[in-house]
Formats: sequence, structure tokens, C-alpha cells
Amino acid sequence: MMANILTTIIFLPLSVALFLGLFRADLKLLRIGAILSSLGTLGLTLLLLSHFNPEATQMQFVVNHAWIQNAGMHYKLGIDYLSLVILLLITFLMPLLYLYMLKESRKGYWYNMMLLQTGVTGAVLSLDLILFYLFWETMLLPIFVMIGKYGSSMRQYNSMKILLITVLGSMSMLFSILYIGYIYFETHAVWSFALSDLSSITFQARTSIWLAAGFLLAFAIKIPLVGFHTWMAPAYGSAPTPAVVIMSAIMAKLGIYGLWRFGFGLFSETLKFYEPTIIVLALIGLLYYAIRAITETNLRRMFAYSSGSHLSLIALGLFLSNIYAWGGSLYFIITHAIASAGVFMMIGLTYYRFKTIQIDELGGIASSAPIFTFFFAFFALSIAGLPGTGGFVAELLIIIGAFKESFIIGLFTATTMLSAMVYIFWMLQRTLFGVQKNICEFKDLNKKEILMLSPLVILLLVTGIAPSLFIPLFEPQLSISLNEILTLTQGAN
Amino acid sequence: MLNLIVILPFFSALLLALIYLSNPKQKRYQLYTTIGVGTILTITLFSLFILLEVVQNGKTLHTTLFTWLSLGELQIELAFRADKLSVVMISFITFIGSLIHIYAAGYMKDDTGYGKFFSYFNLFMGSMLLLVLANNPIIMFIGWELVGVSSYLLIGFYHKESANITAANKAFILNRVGDFGFIMGIALLFISLEGSGFSFEDIEANIFSIDSEKLSLIGILLFVGAMGKSAQIPLYVWLPDAMAGPTPVSALIHAATMVTAGVYMVSRYSFLYEQIPDVGVFIAYIGAFSALFAAIIASYQSDIKKILAYSTMSQLGYMFIAVGLGAYSSGIFHVFTHAFFKALLFMGAGAVIVALHHEQNIFKMGTLKTKLKLIYITMFIATLAISGIPPFAGFFSKDAILVTAFASEHYTLWAMGSLTAGLTAFYMFRLIFTVFHAQAKKEHSLQSLPKSMTYPLVVLAFGSSVAGFLGVNSAYGGDMLINSFLSLPDRVHPISHTTEYILGSLNVLLALGGMGLAYKLFAKNPKEPQESTIYKKIVINKFYIDEIYTVLIIKPLLLLSHFIADVLEKRVFDALIDTTVWLYLGASKQFIKLQNAKVRYYALYILSGLSFISLYLIFKLGVIS
Amino acid sequence: MSPDLFFLLASLLFSLGLVGVVSRRNLFVVYMSIELMLSSINLILATLSKLLGDGSGSVMALLLIAVIAAEAALFLAIIVHLYRENRTVDSDTFNDLSEVK
Repeated sequence: MMANILTTIIFLPLSVALFLGLFRADLKLLRIGAILSSLGTLGLTLLLLSHFNPEATQMQFVVNHAWIQNAGMHYKLGIDYLSLVILLLITFLMPLLYLYMLKESRKGYWYNMMLLQTGVTGAVLSLDLILFYLFWETMLLPIFVMIGKYGSSMRQYNSMKILLITVLGSMSMLFSILYIGYIYFETHAVWSFALSDLSSITFQARTSIWLAAGFLLAFAIKIPLVGFHTWMAPAYGSAPTPAVVIMSAIMAKLGIYGLWRFGFGLFSETLKFYEPTIIVLALIGLLYYAIRAITETNLRRMFAYSSGSHLSLIALGLFLSNIYAWGGSLYFIITHAIASAGVFMMIGLTYYRFKTIQIDELGGIASSAPIFTFFFAFFALSIAGLPGTGGFVAELLIIIGAFKESFIIGLFTATTMLSAMVYIFWMLQRTLFGVQKNICEFKDLNKKEILMLSPLVILLLVTGIAPSLFIPLFEPQLSISLNEILTLTQGAN
Repeated sequence: MLNLIVILPFFSALLLALIYLSNPKQKRYQLYTTIGVGTILTITLFSLFILLEVVQNGKTLHTTLFTWLSLGELQIELAFRADKLSVVMISFITFIGSLIHIYAAGYMKDDTGYGKFFSYFNLFMGSMLLLVLANNPIIMFIGWELVGVSSYLLIGFYHKESANITAANKAFILNRVGDFGFIMGIALLFISLEGSGFSFEDIEANIFSIDSEKLSLIGILLFVGAMGKSAQIPLYVWLPDAMAGPTPVSALIHAATMVTAGVYMVSRYSFLYEQIPDVGVFIAYIGAFSALFAAIIASYQSDIKKILAYSTMSQLGYMFIAVGLGAYSSGIFHVFTHAFFKALLFMGAGAVIVALHHEQNIFKMGTLKTKLKLIYITMFIATLAISGIPPFAGFFSKDAILVTAFASEHYTLWAMGSLTAGLTAFYMFRLIFTVFHAQAKKEHSLQSLPKSMTYPLVVLAFGSSVAGFLGVNSAYGGDMLINSFLSLPDRVHPISHTTEYILGSLNVLLALGGMGLAYKLFAKNPKEPQESTIYKKIVINKFYIDEIYTVLIIKPLLLLSHFIADVLEKRVFDALIDTTVWLYLGASKQFIKLQNAKVRYYALYILSGLSFISLYLIFKLGVIS
Repeated sequence: MSPDLFFLLASLLFSLGLVGVVSRRNLFVVYMSIELMLSSINLILATLSKLLGDGSGSVMALLLIAVIAAEAALFLAIIVHLYRENRTVDSDTFNDLSEVK
């Protein structure tokens, strides 16, 4: 059972979808099937958690089957703390998302969500580069379909935009993957794409700079770093809510994850070369997106920029190789995912009630819907780093890490205290408070919606009040990886 | 018990919020009052016990709840410490806080958001107590931030008016600007001391290992936080606007809590500021300028709450003069006495406002002396106290500060302080005379006040009269009880009793002068200030600081945002993509012409292709030789 | 008889057919031209078979004739069908896949 648990977690949603599709299940059955598959994966992940060895710093539950033997492609899966964290996020969010879209009657929507889950889970768990690439592209397809088919304004144009730009990144990554495989073949006379094999290669400096660029482009687009972000606001703006939640809470984080697992895993020395560029880009992004968000009038696009700003901060933390910044980044991945999931769900609920998410058409929600206001304000404030929520801890750690690096970087990083503030508080003023402009009645949250949002609130509070429950768990692994990188880079000097 | 002091308010805030959200429309006056006020009364009792314990043993109490965070060298415990400084702080915070809670139970009685109000109120108290009791900078910072958040909620309590939310936003954002400096200070401090623990004791023990240049930077950055929270130049603009909240909120924010946090913070870090006296002088000058500046503005305001707001800022300036010059105990002493008379003034003002059906312009009031007798008497006592008339509380604390400034040979500071003292008496008596003595412009039908709104005033009036005796210095036959109890690292500047008497009487004379001037101008037939001269115009418009900030900060920020949206995003980033697409489409239009779906053309392409291949094979590769 | 003449004839036939396919628009003529090209290939197969003394070429040629016969049946049927649908046998009118109309 435990041997194949990772495979089951990845493919359970897809196989449920295939099975239901094969028998042309009606909507009711489809709904039940999807929810059961998400609960199933959640259960399996919890089971996995109970068997997870907290002491080990190696990959656990490793599955390794030959897949295409001649070309050295393996079906290799494994999990460590970092991927466990993201896996938990995915499996935790999926049931809530299904609860959110319970009334959705378009069948394709449900199928796409299940396919999406398989895609993101697979990308997190695969340890073979070709397999990773496969899942990396798989998760893009449902997003493309969901924006194009179920999205709002200019959906087809925007879905094409995200597809083309993302594929540009993944193509360059594929090229790098294949070339690395070839280098391995040249030295070892066998093909292999397993991360553990490839990380032993020592590249020539020039080659590795180009190879790393291939990976970095893919991840920079996914995150997105400033300059690679043209797809972001349009895609977030026209995607349906569950897709936005996945994009912001999971997929963007996979860019960071990829950078950590494959970027640092393969090119930890070469990344030193890119470090200044990325730190500068991240710092610019932090402020650029935040300032852009101030005058944005569409809520979803506003929080798309907000997401970009905070992901720049996470990327920054990753490149400030010290334990505080890394811990902060990792923690931010968790807390930002939860908070942004909450915010985007609230925006979806606003749209559901008012049929608009233009800020200037909203207002006065607090007078008619106090519960809604509480949840909305809570999520928005936790995005802004309200103390008592996890985001505060993460930002604090990254700021400390930045000051450890240098005063200037610290100074710019600390602006995160201010940058989110302005647009979030101005937005709250115009949407929640003041006088209601829209004539139709704003219904407060019902029981289902409260049930769906409360876990997020509770989790944010727990991560904020007692970060010591979580952070010490992944500290050993962080410090080991950090030491590896530090010794490597010092050796290079 | 120490833990409970912090936990209980948070817990009750949560409980109230849940009860309120379970059915926002239902009125549960009894229940909310019991939980909201009851909790604060309980913790007041607790903190009195702790005060007694500390007074008896003279030892610092420590409790640890749990490890909050542990990563690398960053080991942060959620731990509280009740030393002499924090015990003094919590005892008057909870005491005055509970009086304000009782008052609020009357003031907010008919508000639909009564439960919500007490939830926020308790959250605010909890945050303030967390700030005061924290035993390391990080936890203190959490309390510091939460105070900001809950003040945002409270100032924006009447959220239907968009202007109130603007005021709340302003308060929070300016506080955050301060916090921006504060967090940098903390981070630098941590990095400089990495590996030797991060509780206040550890920092104090290792402070000498940091070189003084870095220490000055840390000191200034920490003080930026205090500027925001304690409304000093240049981050003060939120304070007058914060009057948008209900009056009990103003009383709480301006009297016992929030704004005093900055002074407390500097005293808490007194061991750090001791190393860098130059930064201290800088702090003192900021304080003196703020004090004078606010007093000038206050003299030309006509909104009763705004006058009090500027007077708060002015008094805070005094406190910063004290802590900047190393007289930490005097600073805390002034915080302590100020808490009494300022709470009293705000609550009295609130009572007047309620009695007059929410009229706030003092020039539309008048002849209330007989109608609101109790309020008149209590407010008069508070005004005497704030003006520094002996033997009321303000005299002793203000005198201690001015004497320090004089004795440490900072005569400019002393002169500014004394001038402010005169101005203080002027604008405060201007308020009293206009509201209570002057002839009313029209008859008012007064609304009756509940007892819960008047009794706390009496208690505070008593406090304002006698609180000063805790810190009477030797010149007046006292032994500076509070200074010796606090045992902070004060810098003492010996000065003869004669000089002290001269300085003291000079202050009293200045205060009496201000009072007399106010009586002459405002006791009979007060006139609302007109923008007749340029000087008056500038002062009435508060030196146009808000407008300057709008032009210098807000406008450029919005412009930049529009620039990014319209130029950078569209003309640069999108344009890059669009150009690629355009090139691609253009090329495709050319190629499309080849595909005309006429079979014979395709055959021709095949033919020509084949011919080329054949020719290549024959002539280049020589297949047929 | 020199085989060169046969090859010459075959090339001539093939070229005629090719030109016919490319230049004519009447589907029947196009079809006839294709047949012409096929016949020329058949001719080459038969010639080479004779020349090299290998029977397989002749066999293939015979097989091709059968295929051509079957193809004729299909091709003509398609053309007749197209004529019924569109009342024309002009190949240029059948350009449904064209991007530029």
C-alpha cells in the first residue's frame, strides 16, 4: 500500500475522471466522484503524513520504474518536506474548491479540475526531469481550457496568451533537460534523466549558464518575475475562480518549487551567476506590482498583481541563501497560498452576488453583510501581513534574512511592510465600506460558504500564532541543503 | 496570572466577535457588556495583584507560554515579563482602560454594532498589553502591529462615512511607515547580536558588542516606529483625523494606550539609548518641535476633539523631550499623569458632545457651566492638571521634564517646552471658557447622560488631582517615588533647589498668563478663528501639511501607478509580445498564398521540389557520373 | 532494339502526364494524365524486367494494371459524384481548404 501511495495520490483524480467520462456519468455522479477523489487524495496524504519520517532528510516513498528504458526515462517519484508541504496544500485546497463550485453545472469544468489536480500533484512529486516536464505541461492544459471556455471577458485571447508564453518557457526548459541528458550520456554512456543522476554532473561554466537559463525562463514565467508577467493579469482576470485559486495558490508556487528543486538541485553554482539579476528583479517586482495594483480597478487583476508582488518576495528569499530567508520563503509559500485562495474565493463570491468585481461599482458591503466583511477583510489583511496570521511570520523572516545579506537589500525588502498596505486598504475602503452603490441586495455568507472559508481562516491563524508548530519540521532539511549550497559555492570560489 | 492578563482580552475579543457574527442584528446589551467590560475589570484586578507583588518583592516576574518561533539562531518565545516599568504601565492601562470601558458601555448603548465595538475594544487592550508585557522585541512588535490594526478598526468604526475610513487608513498606513523603520531596527539589532539570544535581558547584556555607529542607526530606526505610533513630526497627521472614531476610542487611543507606546518603547530600550546620547538629543528635538507645533495648531482649532488631539500630540512631545534627554522615569511619569487628565478630558468632551446631540464645534456651544455641572467641574480639574497648575498632576510631571531640559543645558529645548506650557494653558482654557462660560449662540436642548458616563469622570478627576504626588521631587519635599521605583538608567543632572523654584514658578506664571489671555478673549463672547491674515490662514489649515503630503507622496504614487499601467505594461511589456505576434502573422499571410487549395499547384510544388532534389543528386553529388 | 528508346518513350509519357496534371483543370483530363504517368512507370518496369531478366518487374507491372483498373473505377465514380454535386469538373473550384478565397 505505502509503496504505491504516491502514484495513487497523483492518478486518483485522473482515473476517476477517465472512469466517469467513459461511462458518461451524469452531473450528480460526476460531482460526487470529484469530491470523493479529492477527499480520497486528502485522506491518502494524511496517511502518508502519518508514515512520514520526520527525521530523514532524504527523499521518502521513492518509486522508481523504468519507463522508456532506451532513453533512460524513469517513472521516479519521491517526497521530502518541501514537496510534502505543497502536496498538503493541494489536497487541502481541492475539497474546498469543489465545495466552492458545488453548483457548477458544466461538466467539463469538473473534469478539468480533476485533470489539473493530477497535473500539479505529479509535477510536485516527480524526480525525473522528463516526467516533471510531462506533468508541468499537463497542468497547463486544463488551465488553458478553463480560461478559454469558462472564463470571462476576452477569455480566448487570454487563454491563448497564457498558453503561448508558458509554452515558450517550458520549451526552453525541455531543451535544457534534453541537453543535460545528452551530457550525461556522453560521460556515462547511458541515458538518464533522473535528478539524482544528473545532479552529479559538473558542467562547463559556459554550458551551464545557458542550460540554467532554460530552466530559469520557465520558472520566471511561471512565478512570474517582473518582465515575464504579461500573461499574469489577463489570465487571472478572465479565469474562473477555481482556476485562479490554483494558479495563484499552487502553480505560481510550483515555479518557486521548481527553482528550488531543479534550479538549485542542478545548478547551485551557476545560479550564483544569476543571483544579482534575480534579486534585483525580485526587488523591482515587489514594488512594481504593488504600485501597479494601487490603481487597478478590477479586484481579480488587483490581487493578481498582489500575488506577483509577494511571489517576487518569495523568490527573493530563495536567493538570499540564509536560513531565515529560506525559512521565510518556504513559510510564505504555505501562508500565501492559503490567504490568496481565500481572497480569490471571496472575489468569486462577490461576483456571484453582484455580477461585477469592478471596485468602483462596489461599496457598502459592510452594512449589509457583516460576516462576508469579516472574511474578506481578514483574508485581505492577511495578504498584507497582519500580525497573528502566517504571512506576518514569513515576511518577518524574509526581512531578517535580507538584513543578514546586506542593509540595502534589507531596506528594499522591508518596503513590503508598506507596499501591500496602500492598495489593500484603499480597496477595502471602496469595496466594503461607504455607501452601497449596487442596487441589488447583498446576501451574507450562507452556511456552506462559511464552512468552506473557515478552515482557511483557522489555518492562517494557527500558522500565525504558533509558527513553531511548522517551521522546526523543515528546518533540518533546509539547513542541510543550505550547507550543501554554501560549501559548493565556496568551493567554486 | 501574567499570562491571563494578555490572553483574556484576546479571548474575549474572539468570543464577542463570534457571538456578534452569529447574529449581527440581535441586541444583546447585557451579554456584551458582561463579557466586554467584565474581562477588563478582571484583568485590572490581576494587574493590581501583580503590581503589589512586584512592589513587595522588587523582582521581575517571568512567564512563558510557548516557543513562538525557532529557526536558526532566532529563538522567539511567547513570553511575558513584568518588571517595574511594565507593571506601572499595565496597572494604569488596565485601570484607565476599565474606566473607559464602563464609559463606553453608556456611550455606545444604542449603537447597532455594540458587540462588534467591544470585540475591537478588547482586541485593542489585548494588543496593548502584549506590547507592554512582551519580553522580546519580536513579540513586542506583534503587539505594536496589532495595536495599529485594532486602532484601524476602531477609528473606522462608523464605516458608512467614507471619510472615517480614510482617517482609519491614514492612521494605519502612517503607523506602518513607522513600523517600516521599527522592523528594520529590530532586524538589524537581531543580525548584530545573532547567536546571543534575543530577549530584552540578552540584548541588554550584549549591547556593548555593537559598535556605536550601527547602534545609532538602530536607535534612529526604532524611533521612526515611535514617531508613527506616538504621532510625532513628521508622522503625526493621522492623529487629528483619528477623531473620526467614537469618543471612547479617542480616549483610549490618546490617553492610556497606543500613543504612549512610543514613549514606553524608548524607555524599554533605555539601555540602548543610553549608549547613543546624540540620538537622544535628536529625539528630544523632534519632541520639542512636535510639542510647540501642535500647541500652535491647537490654539486655532474649533473642533473640540481636534483640540484635544493636538494637545495629546503636544504632551507626547514633552514625553519625548524627557526620554530623549535620558530622563526616562520623568517621561513615564508624564505618561502616567497624562493618562488620567487626558482620558478625563476626552470623556468629558464626549459627554458634552452626546449631551448636545453630536455637536463638536466649541463655538456653537456655551453656557454649559450650570447645565452640565459635574462635567464642568471634572473637566476644569483636568484642564488645571494639563496646564501645570500645582498641585494637580500635570505640574509635577511637566516640571520634572522642563527642569531636566534646563539642567542638562539644553536651553532651546527648555524654552520651547516652557513656551508650549503657556500655549497649553491658553488653548485648554480657551476650550473650557468657550464651552462652559461663554454666552451660547442658541438654546440647546440637552440629552440626559447615563450614570456610566459620568461616574468614571469623578474617579479620573480624583486621579488627576493626586496622581502627581507619586513623583514629587525633593525640591518640593517629595522623594520621587516613581523614579526610584522604576529604577531606569536615568541621567541625573544635579540642580539647586532655588533654580527649581524659579523654573517652577515661571511655568506657573506662564500657565496663568495663558489662562488669563484665554479668559479675556473667550470667556464672554468668543469668536471663531477667521482666516484673516496669512499667519492665521496657515495655522488654521494646519500648516498645509496634509496638502503637502498629498502633493509629495500620494500624487506621485498614483501617477507612477498609472504610468506603469498605461505606459510600461502596455507600451513595453505587452508591446514586446504584440510585436512578435505581428511579425508572425505577417509572415503567415505571405505563406498562406502558397496554400490556395488548388491541387495542380500542389503538384507543381512537388514537381519543382523533386526537380531540385534530382538536380542536386545529379550535379552536386554525382549520382550519375 | 535498344532499351534507350523505351526509356525515352517512358520519360516522354511521364512528362506529358505531369504537364497535364499541373496545367489542365478538367478533372477527366487530370485523371487521364495521371494514368499516363502510371503507364510510363509500368513501361519502365516491364522494360527493366526484360533487360535484367528478372520476372519480378513484369509481375509488378501486371499487378499495377490491376490496381489501375480498380483505381479507375473509384476515380471515375468520385468525379461523377463531384459533377453531380457541383455541376462542374473544373478542379480549381474544389478549394474548400483554401485560406484565401
